[in-house]
This record gives sequence, C-alpha cells and structure tokens, in this order.
Amino acid sequence: MTPPAQAAAVGSLVLSGLVVLLLVAVALEHLLRTRRLAREAARRAELTPLVHALLDGESTAELAGAPALLDELVLDLLPQLRGADRSALQAVLLERGVVGRAADQLTARGAARRGRAALLLGNAASAEHTTPLVHLLSDRTAEVRSAAARALGKTGDPAAVGPLLAAVASRQGVPPGVVGMALLDLGTGVLPALRTALDAGRPVTQALAADLIGVHGDPAATDALIALVGDPGRDPDVRRSAAQALGRIGSPVATATLAAALRGSGERPLRGAAAEALGRIGDPAALDPLTAGLRSADADVRGACADALTLFGEPGRLRLAAHAVLCGPSGDAARSALDVLEFTRRPGRHAARA
Amino acid sequence: MIGVATSFLATVSWTVLGYMILLDLCMLVLVAFGARRVLANRRWTGAEGHDQIFASPLTPGISVLIPAHDEEAGILDTLSAALAQRYPSFEIILVDDGCTDRTFDLVADRYRLTPVTPRWTADLPIDGAVLSVHRATTGDPLTVIRKATVGRRSDASNVALNMARHPLVCMLDADSLLEPEALLRVARPFVEDPRNVVGAGGVIRAVNGSRTDSGAVLEPRLSKRWLVRIQAVEYLRSFLLGRTGWADANAMLIISGAFGLFRRDLLVEVGGMDPHSLAEDAELVVTLQEHLRRQGRPHRMVFVPEPVCWTEVPETWSVLGRQRRRWSHGLGQLLWKHKRMIGNPRFGAVGVLALPFFLLFEALGPVVEVVGLASVVLAAGIGALDWGSAGVMVGFALLVGTVLSTVVVAVEEFTFHRYRSGRDLLALLAAGVLENVGFRQVHAWYRLQGLFAAITRRTPVWTAMPRTGFGSAAQVPADAGSTAAVPASAVPASAVPVSA
Repeated sequence: MTPPAQAAAVGSLVLSGLVVLLLVAVALEHLLRTRRLAREAARRAELTPLVHALLDGESTAELAGAPALLDELVLDLLPQLRGADRSALQAVLLERGVVGRAADQLTARGAARRGRAALLLGNAASAEHTTPLVHLLSDRTAEVRSAAARALGKTGDPAAVGPLLAAVASRQGVPPGVVGMALLDLGTGVLPALRTALDAGRPVTQALAADLIGVHGDPAATDALIALVGDPGRDPDVRRSAAQALGRIGSPVATATLAAALRGSGERPLRGAAAEALGRIGDPAALDPLTAGLRSADADVRGACADALTLFGEPGRLRLAAHAVLCGPSGDAARSALDVLEFTRRPGRHAARA
Repeated sequence: MIGVATSFLATVSWTVLGYMILLDLCMLVLVAFGARRVLANRRWTGAEGHDQIFASPLTPGISVLIPAHDEEAGILDTLSAALAQRYPSFEIILVDDGCTDRTFDLVADRYRLTPVTPRWTADLPIDGAVLSVHRATTGDPLTVIRKATVGRRSDASNVALNMARHPLVCMLDADSLLEPEALLRVARPFVEDPRNVVGAGGVIRAVNGSRTDSGAVLEPRLSKRWLVRIQAVEYLRSFLLGRTGWADANAMLIISGAFGLFRRDLLVEVGGMDPHSLAEDAELVVTLQEHLRRQGRPHRMVFVPEPVCWTEVPETWSVLGRQRRRWSHGLGQLLWKHKRMIGNPRFGAVGVLALPFFLLFEALGPVVEVVGLASVVLAAGIGALDWGSAGVMVGFALLVGTVLSTVVVAVEEFTFHRYRSGRDLLALLAAGVLENVGFRQVHAWYRLQGLFAAITRRTPVWTAMPRTGFGSAAQVPADAGSTAAVPASAVPASAVPVSA
C-alpha cells in the first residue's frame, strides 16, 4: 500500500469512529427526547395551576419550593400580560431570586448568558438595572446589544432614551429597527428626545426619530418635520421618513411643503411618500398637485397619487374619473384607483359579478 | 506507451486526490461553522420574539410573488398556505404564465376572481404581454395576472414585481408550501435592521411524502423513494448548514427562488430578474451584491436557519437530470457574467471566498469527478491500478461524505427534530451513505452536461415539468410514506447543494 493510501486508511479509521459516535448520539437523543418531553409536560401541568392561583390572588405558599421550571413558565407568560397580573409575576421572579441571578449574569463570559439575562431583566421590568443594561449596548456581541436595547424598552425607564438613540449611530451599534421597537415600548415619554434627535446626530437617527414621531402622531414635531422635508440638502431617507410622519400627523400646515416635494425632482421614494402623506392629510389644496402627479413618469408616484386621490371622497373621485377616460399610464393609474374605490364601496357587487 | 499512460494516470489521480481533499476540507469547515451557528441559534436566537415583530408598527408589508406555469396540481394548496400567513400586512400576486391547464380556472373559482385595471408600481421591461389582471372578491389579498408566456420564469417574476405594492417582496415557487410564520421569521432581520438588510432566506425542505392538508404540512415524512430521500439529505445539508456557514462569513451567494425575501426598491433599481438566466435567483443575489458594493452602500444578506418552506423535489432520474442540468447551466452563466468579481477583494467575502468556491467546487467539480472516475476505469483497464490503495481511497472518500451527511442529520435531530419517526431518521442516515454511491456520480454527469451547455452558450430553455401536487391528509393513510409529489421543475438553482 502506498503512503497516501496508508494515511487514508488511518483517516478512515478516525472518520469511522466519528460516524459511530454521531450515530450513537443521534439514537440516544431520539430515544430520550420523548421521555424528557413527557416528564417536562407533566411538571408543567403540575405547576400551571400554581401560576393561575397566583394570578387569581390566592395564597401561593408552595411557590417558594417550586422547581426552576416554574421560572420558565412565568417568563413565558410575562410578555403576554399587562397590569396587575404582570406585576404579580414580576414579584415572583424577584422573590425567587431570578432577577438577582440574571443581574449577575449580565457580565457572564458567554454571549447567550448575557443576552438571556438582559431579556429576563427586561421582562421583569427591572428599572434598577438600567445602568448595566446601558453598558451592554456596547457589548462585543451584536445579539447581546440588541437584547439589551429591547430590555431597556421594556423596563419603561425614560433614562434609557438617550443611550438608545446614541446606540443607533455608534460604530458598533444597535440596528435602528431594534432601537425603534424599544423606544415604542417606552411610550410617549420619549417624544421630547425624539424631537431633539430630528435635528441632531446622524441621518440614521434622524430618520428613526421621524418614523417614531409619525407612529405617535406627535403634532408638536410638525414644524421640524416640515423643515426636514423642505431641505434638499438632507439625506433622502430622512426626508422620506419625515414626509411619512407628516402624513400620519395629518396637519394641513404641511400640505404646501409636501406638494412641493411631490412636484420636485427629488428621489422617487420621497415623491411617493409625499403623495401618500397628502392623501392621509386630505387637505383640498392637495387635489391639484396630486392630479398633476397622475402624469408623473414614474409608475410608483402615479399609483401613489391615484391612491391618495381616492382618500378625498367625491372631489378625488371626480378627478380620477376625468383622467380615467385617457389612454396611457395616467389613465391606467386613475382607472385602477377607481376600481379599488368601487371595490371597497361595493364588495358584494363585485363578488356577485365574479 | 503503457509507461506514459501510467504516469499520466498517476498525475491525474494525484490531482483529483488533492482536489477532493481540498473540497472535503472546505466542506467540513463550512458544515462545522454552520452546525455551530444552528446549535447556538437553538439555544438563544438573540432576537425578538415573533409576537413583538407581528405587533410592531415598524414591520413592513410584503408582496408575495408566485409565478406559475401549469400548476393545477398544487396551486390551491400553495395559495392556501401563503394566504394563511400570520403577518400584519401582505398581498399575494400570482402570475398565470401562459398556463395551459386549469390553474387559472381553479383559482378563479376558489377565490371568485373579478377583472380589475392593473395598478403598476414599476416599469421593468417584460416580454410576455399582460392579458388581464384579476382580484379576489373573497376578501383575500390576492391578485392574479394572466400573461402570455415567453418560457421564462424571470419574465413572470418581473411582471409581478411591476405590480407589487409593499416595500418587501417574497419570491415563492408555485409548488411550495409556506410554514404559517414563514414571513414573520424571515422578515425579522428587515424589521431589526431595515437599512442594511437587503435580502433574506430560510431553510427549505423536501415535502414529498409528508402529510399535508390545505397547504399545511401536518406531519413531515420522508418519501419511500430513495431518490427523494437522498435529495432530502442534500437539502438539509445545503440549507441547514451550508448556507448558514456562508451567511456567517457574510458571503451569501444564493437566496432560494423557492422562498426569498428582498427589498423591492433595490430589485427595481437593478432592473429586476435577469431575463436570460437559468439561475435567476442566485443571479439576483450576486447582482445585488455587485451593485451595492460598487456604490459603496452597506448591505447584508441574511440567512435565517429555521424551516420556512416545503417544496417538491424530483422523483425520477429524468426529471432530476433536467433540473440539475439547468442549475449547472445557470451557475455557468452566473460565473461568466460576474467573472470580474471572482477573486476580487473589492467585493469582500463574496468575491474572495464564495465565488471562487463556486467556480472551483460547484462548476468545475463535475469535471474533476468524471475525469477521476474515468482515470480509475482506464487504469484498471491497462492493469495499472493498485486495487488495495484504490479501495482504501474510495472508502475514505465515502466516509468523508458519510460524516458530512451524518453531521447534518444529527444537527436536525438535536435542533428542529421535524422527522418524528425513528424509521424516517434511519432512512435519512442511510440516504446520507447511499448518496455517495451512484447518486453522486450520476449527479456529476448531469452537472457536467449543464456546464457544457453553459460553455457552448446554448440557448437557455425552461422546461415545464409535471406535478401531482401535495399528498393530502385525507388521501394519505397514516401509515403511508409517500404518495405525494411528482417532480418539481421549478425548484430553483438556489437549492444547489453546497457539496458536489
């Protein structure tokens, strides 16, 4: 046998051993899983009435000696509860030392431990752990940073707003969507900080702030948002987010700026967002620019203008009807919007026709 | 003369051996990284729960695009599964791409379609004329476009893209069943990092043999056909571990056309799907990577290592051959089109790692395998073969393949554990061994033919393949293994397994 063949033979022996090990592991896992799951289900069935009793305000003396599985049950339930029920379960976690152990784990070596601890503290709404959670926003592991951000949102501590917004723009930061969800969890208390962020920091933070202000429908931010939409020097994403926010706020003060953005030579997403916002605001002064938008060279903008006109009631319908007789893309856009309008008004008629 | 032939054969053998060792090492590294990520992911995903994503006002809407050509066997199941998605805002756009069967009639009947004026959102060029557009009157967010076929799936996809309204688009095959939370799972990266994530995919599995009802996979099972079982292992290896490994290296090259999620604005920006590619899903991902890299825009392709979609796989050798030739042809087209990216550090890990890997091991793999096999036969013919050494080498190669397959089955068992029956598990393990004997060699031949077609610039041809749909719970007795599915044609190039 040649030397390479000898090496291959040795390698084959090693690989055979590995295959056998894997097979044994798979077989054991397959056989033991059913037993393990059945045992766990039985234990859960025993413990669930205890948790229900707790939620009903009954005596819960047995909770002290309950196994660790109870903590898992409580943690599974927590995100689904609000108010007194949630507080009762949070108190159980505190009493059983779960919160304290989680706080210790925030500096653990394993990323999964740190992340799970952060999430647990968030679910337990432990506001006293805001500072260590803020430290985790600059953790070396991206998943842990995200977990810390979400936990900060759930703690309900307004002190977390600044660090959360800063984390969006930092080099090893937290994705804006994660911070956005956390800030939404914190409620309307974050609005002053968001208004400030509209004009400070990096574009990614500004766009996020505009998005969230729009979700909250904060009228106090209208002027700042109008300024963003009207400033061609701003980042296109920021202008688009600001236009969308103005639509959600619904103030007619923004009509002129949005109409200018729709008519302007800005990027397609901005013009589409401006059309959509004008439709949401419903100011009659927007009828002309939206009708003109039906002749846009861009299909998305045409469609957005047509959809916006459907939100104006009869005046919008008349404008669409006037265009619907035309051939070409603008006629198509108008007819399509009228179809949708008709469809929404008389769904039964369409069904019968079908 | 014999001496020259012997030394030539020895050179070939050593080259093939070196190549195989390199390939196996790469595969082991890839699978090890993938397994590590999948197992870690099962312990802690590090991400927000799906309920929060569902409830978030920041979650973007999704347009699900389904091109269909003669899909009467399973289209209603596919639509049922897609429409049953647990997702806050989505629409389904089905494209009847010149169907000659009852696909449209079935859908029109079930969803009481009514004609509407098309609402265009983009102007991507298309070749097949749009004949009519219909909308469901049953309250389902379903739009159906009827168009003349030009024999290309990409054309149908581009028509659907032209009518998609939502910021994200999901490409879905008409012979695939979505898990109820598929959109939520794969949209999560977009919700969390909306500016950087441009594409995402998930794990796709073979549905043949499973018990399904109205598009829901009630009980995943293995088909009784070994050809399907081997493909089930291939899919597990490719999706569960291969792509997870590539995604970890930030070098995702393929997001399956059977199920993939993308940002609509970017798809329109790059001109939609390449009309001439046979691997249009992989082509799209590479084009996006190239486009965004050239412009210096940050971007991430994400792979979610969770099962999201079930698709039909071929059950006969002839259909499998057609499918694999097409994939290989498509891969050849892709590598030629993006040749400037190969080995180019400007394109990051995709240029330096993924594309060279695909060129060396996926495209050229069948050449080396077939040459290797031929040299062994030739050596045996002229009496130059050392049978003992050859046997050991073959055994070693088989064992490496077996280790890879066994690792995949072990990871599946320790993580998702979808195949509940011990018999299915044993069949998976056996298929992982059998794959290396016969299947792999025939597969190499199919791929070589596809590569030859790409090199000789043959006109790409999309061929429709027969389907029988999904095995329903009512039709399939509880103890039956496989009645489902006849071969699928449109399992996309994305499903190309990472190993040869």
